Amino acid sequence: MSVRVHVPLPLRRLAGGLTEVEATGSSIREIIEDLDASYPGMKERLFRGDEEPSRFVGIFVDGRDIRLLEGLETAVREDAVVTILPLAAGG
Amino acid sequence: MQPYTDRYSRQIIFPGIGRAGQARLANSMVVVIGCGALGTVAAACLARAGIGRLRIVDRDFIEYHNLQRQILFDEDDVRNQIPKAIAAERHLRKANSSIEIEGIVADVNYRNIERLAKGADVILDGVDNLETRYLINDVSLKHGVPWVYGAAVSSDGMTMNIIPGKTPCIRCLFPTMPAAGQIATCDTAGVVSSAPFIIGALQSVEAIKILVGAEDVSRDLITVDVWTGAFERLEIGDSPSPDCPACQGKYEFLDARFGARTTYICGQNAVQVVLPSDRELSFEELARRFREIGQASYNEFMLRFAVDGYEMVLFPDGRMIVKGTDDESLAKGLYAKYVGM
Repeated sequence: MSVRVHVPLPLRRLAGGLTEVEATGSSIREIIEDLDASYPGMKERLFRGDEEPSRFVGIFVDGRDIRLLEGLETAVREDAVVTILPLAAGG
Repeated sequence: MQPYTDRYSRQIIFPGIGRAGQARLANSMVVVIGCGALGTVAAACLARAGIGRLRIVDRDFIEYHNLQRQILFDEDDVRNQIPKAIAAERHLRKANSSIEIEGIVADVNYRNIERLAKGADVILDGVDNLETRYLINDVSLKHGVPWVYGAAVSSDGMTMNIIPGKTPCIRCLFPTMPAAGQIATCDTAGVVSSAPFIIGALQSVEAIKILVGAEDVSRDLITVDVWTGAFERLEIGDSPSPDCPACQGKYEFLDARFGARTTYICGQNAVQVVLPSDRELSFEELARRFREIGQASYNEFMLRFAVDGYEMVLFPDGRMIVKGTDDESLAKGLYAKYVGM
């Protein structure tokens, strides 16, 4: 499946400054692997040691938190929109 | 027409608020923690909407680069070195003298947050760091007070309501904080004023909706990019996570016992040093000492001094801000060197 991924501000430098990129895979885990292949360093930033990304970033498929779905194994449909969203700090 | 009714007539006509809602607002108290871009916008909306009691807490003073987006402040405030909480109180009194407004100059931490938030019907988040937000989250859950999270950096912003027991909390969604260096700050990413304006305005209307008991209080995480014009509502579920320590009554941020603590201040390239206990400082005595080695000036709110190429600001509670650095150990060292700890 080919999906659109919204890249959050802290990860944009890794993605060459892009706010949205394409990735392929059938689950969120595969999407992250594919992102890391295209933009090395993504996986390292999203997995902190063995801590899963959902502990400190929100990941949403078509606007729904993957915690409410199947976590990293959540299936994605063709043209799905995946949003990666760290908690923003500025005020 | 009564002046009260006249002042709020346009929002009383609005069916979502009405006369009953306006009366509820008048009997409510909101504590705004942090009064920068988000806090000034939200506090202005809430004061003008007739929230009966508004407490505004902020640790900082005003600088020229704040004026780009912190709408309650002006150049006189910068020149007169007025703390943000005091300036906000003064300006808002002119906008609405019929409500109680209390500006408190303080660094919000685990020791004082329960006292500062006491009596709040809603806590509104205007802070510039995540640690204080996790602290607000703990206090909210412990005392059953809703809080409205908001944040903005670059052209992005996000907001969500945390209603204890009824919605996920910030730790349900983000159990741990991002690693240092993985948080976009106003220094590295900048900030377009419209981002905090929109988020502060959304936060204030959500606070109003919670206070009047509206049924359509937002249950989503709302994100905005003012540059691309993208708005999104992200679905986060409708109940607390069973795995969330804070929702299970473990208030780890509130229970934390830190030693001398340093915090990098977003947007200012400065570090704040806070000591574990409040200490009363004599500005007169310190200024005399500093003038022998550098430059110093003070008023009742703060003492500024410049030594060895560093500019530092001390507050009466013993807190110090070291400007022009992001080095937290350097800041702590300067505190030890010049003030003593």
